[in-house]
Amino acid sequence: MSLFKARDWWSAVLGKGEEFDQGCLCIGDVDNSGTGHDKVVVGSYMGMLRIFSPHANVSNEGGQNLIDSLLLEVQLQNAIIQVEIGKFVSCSELLHLAVLHPRKLSVYSISGTAGNVEHGVQYQLKLIYEHNLQRTACNMTYGAFGGVTGHHSLCIQSMDGMLMFFEQDSYSFGRFLPGFLLPGPLAYNPRTDSFLTVSSARQLECYKYETLAVATEAETRPGPDLPLRTGGKRLTADWILVLGEQALDISISSFSHSSSSIFVLGERNLYCVRDNGQIRFMRKLEFNPSCFLPYCSVTDGTTNLLLCNHTNMLLVYQDVTLKWAAQLSFVPVAVRVASFPDLKGLVVTLSSDGHLLCSYMGTDPSFFSMPKVDAREADYEQVDAEMKKLQKIIREASRTQDILPKAETEEDLTVTVSVANRSSVTILMVICCLHFLFLGVGSSTVVTFSVFLNGHYPPADLTGDITVSYTSPTGVPRILQSKFSLPLALVCVSSSAAKNTKFKITVDTNQPPVDLSSIFPEFSDKSEHKDGNSLALQFLSGAKVTMVASKTSQRYRIQSDSFEDMWLVVKELVQRFDLHFSKLGVKDFKKSFSGPLPLQEYFLSVDNHFQLRVSAQQYQDLLSERAVQFRAIQRRLLTRFKDKTPAPLQNLDTLLDATYNQVMALAEAAEENRASLEEAFTRLRSATHLLLLLLSLWQNLTPDQTTILEATLLPQQDTPQLGWEESCDAAVSHLLRSCLSWNPKDQATSLAQIDAPILGFPQETARLKNHITLLCDRIGKGGRLSLTSEANVQVPAQVQNLAAPGKLSKWQENDGEKEMRDRHLSKSSP
Amino acid sequence: MEVTMDPLFLAWSYFRRRKFQQCADICTKLLQDGPYDQAAWSLKTRAFTEMVYIDETEVDQEGIAELMLDESSIAQVARPGTSLRLPGTSQGGGPTQAVRPMTQSGRPITGFVRPSTQSGRPGTMEQAIKTPRTASTARPVTGATGRFIRLGTASMLTNPDGPFINLSRLNLAKYSQKPHLSRTLFEYIFHHENDIKNALDLAAQATEHAQFKDWWWKVQLGKCYYRLGLYREAEKQFRSALNHQEVVDTYLYLAKVYQRLDQPITALNLFKQGLDHFPGEVTLLTGIARIHEEMNNITSATEYYKDVLKQDNTHVEAIACIGSNHFYTDQPEIALRFYRRLLQMGVYNCQLYNNLGLCCFYAQQYDMTLSSFERALALVASDEEQADVWYNIGHVAVGIGDLTLAYQCFKLALAFNNDHAEAYNNLAVLELRKGRVEQSKAFLQTAASLAPHMYEPHFNLSILSDKIGDLQSSYTAAQKSEDAFPEHVDTQQLLKLLREHFAAL
Repeated sequence: MSLFKARDWWSAVLGKGEEFDQGCLCIGDVDNSGTGHDKVVVGSYMGMLRIFSPHANVSNEGGQNLIDSLLLEVQLQNAIIQVEIGKFVSCSELLHLAVLHPRKLSVYSISGTAGNVEHGVQYQLKLIYEHNLQRTACNMTYGAFGGVTGHHSLCIQSMDGMLMFFEQDSYSFGRFLPGFLLPGPLAYNPRTDSFLTVSSARQLECYKYETLAVATEAETRPGPDLPLRTGGKRLTADWILVLGEQALDISISSFSHSSSSIFVLGERNLYCVRDNGQIRFMRKLEFNPSCFLPYCSVTDGTTNLLLCNHTNMLLVYQDVTLKWAAQLSFVPVAVRVASFPDLKGLVVTLSSDGHLLCSYMGTDPSFFSMPKVDAREADYEQVDAEMKKLQKIIREASRTQDILPKAETEEDLTVTVSVANRSSVTILMVICCLHFLFLGVGSSTVVTFSVFLNGHYPPADLTGDITVSYTSPTGVPRILQSKFSLPLALVCVSSSAAKNTKFKITVDTNQPPVDLSSIFPEFSDKSEHKDGNSLALQFLSGAKVTMVASKTSQRYRIQSDSFEDMWLVVKELVQRFDLHFSKLGVKDFKKSFSGPLPLQEYFLSVDNHFQLRVSAQQYQDLLSERAVQFRAIQRRLLTRFKDKTPAPLQNLDTLLDATYNQVMALAEAAEENRASLEEAFTRLRSATHLLLLLLSLWQNLTPDQTTILEATLLPQQDTPQLGWEESCDAAVSHLLRSCLSWNPKDQATSLAQIDAPILGFPQETARLKNHITLLCDRIGKGGRLSLTSEANVQVPAQVQNLAAPGKLSKWQENDGEKEMRDRHLSKSSP
Repeated sequence: MEVTMDPLFLAWSYFRRRKFQQCADICTKLLQDGPYDQAAWSLKTRAFTEMVYIDETEVDQEGIAELMLDESSIAQVARPGTSLRLPGTSQGGGPTQAVRPMTQSGRPITGFVRPSTQSGRPGTMEQAIKTPRTASTARPVTGATGRFIRLGTASMLTNPDGPFINLSRLNLAKYSQKPHLSRTLFEYIFHHENDIKNALDLAAQATEHAQFKDWWWKVQLGKCYYRLGLYREAEKQFRSALNHQEVVDTYLYLAKVYQRLDQPITALNLFKQGLDHFPGEVTLLTGIARIHEEMNNITSATEYYKDVLKQDNTHVEAIACIGSNHFYTDQPEIALRFYRRLLQMGVYNCQLYNNLGLCCFYAQQYDMTLSSFERALALVASDEEQADVWYNIGHVAVGIGDLTLAYQCFKLALAFNNDHAEAYNNLAVLELRKGRVEQSKAFLQTAASLAPHMYEPHFNLSILSDKIGDLQSSYTAAQKSEDAFPEHVDTQQLLKLLREHFAAL
């Protein structure tokens, strides 16, 4: 991100498909022209060595320019990994070019022969000496090692960590760096006569030349884990500074006389380190740097440096302050500063794919230009027409649809349910979720699913709901519902009649008795005795229900050993009677129930359910208690383990194990209890259904009233938080207080006001039983169930007239007494 | 002419030039030939790490679980100005909420999106969970799971040959003895595999091997502890590392710990201490500015952002934050200059053009406004951005009085992002002008439920209810508005009026 771009002064693209890296660029007066003007030496991994003397020639074309500036181009045998210019030849003050190949070091001299015309100058490359290397070289550095003046020695680092020293044309010695794995950058600090590198241990290490010279001669590479051979001195670093990151480059700058600074370009930070290994300053880099170069000191005590990064930027820092940022067109791998005949202090950058650029800072804006937005032709008539068209569409759309959906009356979809009777399949309770796609108008999709019996007890209901949710083409979510009922034959088979049973229910009709086998044809053909008067059904769970039709009177008796199981049969019977007689064309068919309501039997299943709920609660309490204990032990154990000084566990682990086992056992028991609670709940629902049916038969209630009763008594859900007992109790007592109350004033007021005591787990069921008994009594006495207040005002008035006033007051008293007693009980119970 | 080169050297060179895939490929070949080549193994490890490296100092993802089940905070009810959780009421004299919109946690909207600015710290569990969970504001339930797995996708990439390093088979004790391998391996485990527990193991053994004298290992230990949520342990490690060696990163990590512990003042002091050692360090200055901004002290934040620019005048975050601050303090012309500078620097995205468009509009350079928005629309990267741009165009349309255009713009904003509470609110106002009270009310209620932190929908709803005579709803809505923006004068007047009404009854 920069405001300006680096201004091109001279640029060249070198070769095609050649690769370059850090060491491949070098600046210096390599042909010893004596003018002090720098030449640019570039070597490539493909072995091309090029020397340029860039000069600005505005008139020439780019290609011409390149040829003009190119002094020398040679293809060498091996890859060039580094080029350096220095005084590498003994007894010569002239600069020579050292070229590092992977297995060879060559030193060349470059000389120019003047021609007659300016572009007739010829340059020649002459090999002075070369060394074949035993190891693959990685990089090199040069300098006056050991304080020798007048000429430079070379130090080559090999890929396996050996420093090889060459003094002109002779090999002096080689040393292995300790703990070496991968090579890092290498630099020579002339002030302290030491070598600096960043090792694989990610630390800056400084080795004195002296130490290196006297250390053990290394001919074979020691294993990194083995101790170095004894005899001679072990090579140890002068000082070590942990950087914690790999370095890209090290550069030594000594622009002021007092001290020199070691600059280390890490992957994430830039460090400036003193000679003795202390950090002078550092700067966290918020980008990935590629190369850098400290180049001069403008004000005393500070150093200016160039830094290039992988976002194509050339940054100029003065210590840690950013002075200038310029955009480049590539990611440089090497950067140098050079002075050329026409211009001094140019920045020379080289990219990995061979862009060589000499540039200077300028205020040319960055060459980023915004891509054009596809601007439309401003044809106003056309635009107007389009606008009108769009407006029309918008108006149309906003009339029909909006963010808030409008209620639609017509359905897009219909659901039809048909039940295939396959009595061999066993049965019930299913929740299935199916996704399917309706293709278009008029198409239909058939979805088949099976129903299975879940558990070993008969279901409370043989009906099912189908809910279809779909999204209409306009994106409005909609829902359709439908009901279906399953045949009784799915849950029971015919069997032999049982004579003596616990529970009996008698249903009266006003029509002559009918043959049971004609009403239940699917069971009759299987039963052995063709007796039309009795029919026995056995549920898959084992319970038997026998129906006996009286031969003389118009009564039917249903008997069974379990109260709840009778529900499905009774319901089926009543339904089939209705169907049968309506088929026969009998209009005034009536069925009734005369006997006392089987409340005691009903309460048995209520108690059973309640008992299981109580034990579920107990299990819950126990579980939470154990869990608390478990966590407490865990916490203690954790503090033990976290403690710095180890302490004995004091059998806490055994305790933890035991608690864990307890928790698991409790959880299993609770799970069992939950299963039986589910069963009890289903039975309770069956029983409630039966009771409601009997109640409506007994008092001949209208369907509306039955619905109210169903809503009151039928359990919707049974969760630990809100069980059937309390919700039913609340509903029943509301009914008792409102529409079933004898006092008309109560009816009006209590409907309006909402007194909602918090529904909680009841202590016992006596109160509920009382209320249900009372409810049945009141309905038996002629109470009308209605929720609309207008109806309530009138209807109870009639009832009042009909009922005897004396009795009425007595009921109220009773009610009050019971209330009192209940309260008393609840007070004393804790 | 083909020139042979040592493959390891080439791989090393590729690594230096950040061509990691090529580097890894060469290393893979080398390892096939010689499976015990430590150098190639190490280089490949480094290449893999660098491919997925994210600076840990910038990673800050606090999950709901960490927020709410945090036991390390010192005071539940902190004194004003000492906690990030309880943003004080603009102590720096910055613009009020009426001028500068707020984020959900009551912090002014910042000019630069950072991980921590996404949704701020919700005050209660309820609020945390109720945060509109759109893609741009979603907060993971816990930072230990979702987000870091997503960040560390490298560990989930299926490799046909199985993972490069099978951590479960690694003998960490052996590697911790080898300093030239252990650091590389640690970074690989931490950044590439995201296996913090193993990384912690390695770091603990390595620091022991270094006789507790290596600051770098202590920092790594601290990083692991931080990721594991053991902030006090992390603090200890970072402190100890600072005793050995002053490094910028350590300061940043330590400050991050303090911010997580909700001790912004300590973090500020630490940053200042760090600045003593590293004067002019941009990351430290930015850290200070961010804390000031989070604590609603916009004036100081701007000062520090200016200091940042003195050190590094290409710092995008600083420019953007100063620009947005100028914009919200009624100096759109100056903000425009900052944003233009960003544009010249090569920042080229939807957000910038959007901001430019708004600045131009408020600086009355109408010719540039629409073309800026046009460019912003051409550059959108996501539906949320598109919704925001359309919302702003709608805002401009309201400003020039073209209510039809405004209406359609807000509708478009909602079409792109149907959680856009501001658009709902403005649409409601327009609907009310058209006389459609029910529609307007529905929109206001939607806006209020989507963004309970905004006072505008509450206040509008209150006014609306007041006008149609529903004083009770008006009162409750006004109270909510007061909760969201206590200093809002209109709300207070309305409340006063309502109370008088009720008293008269």
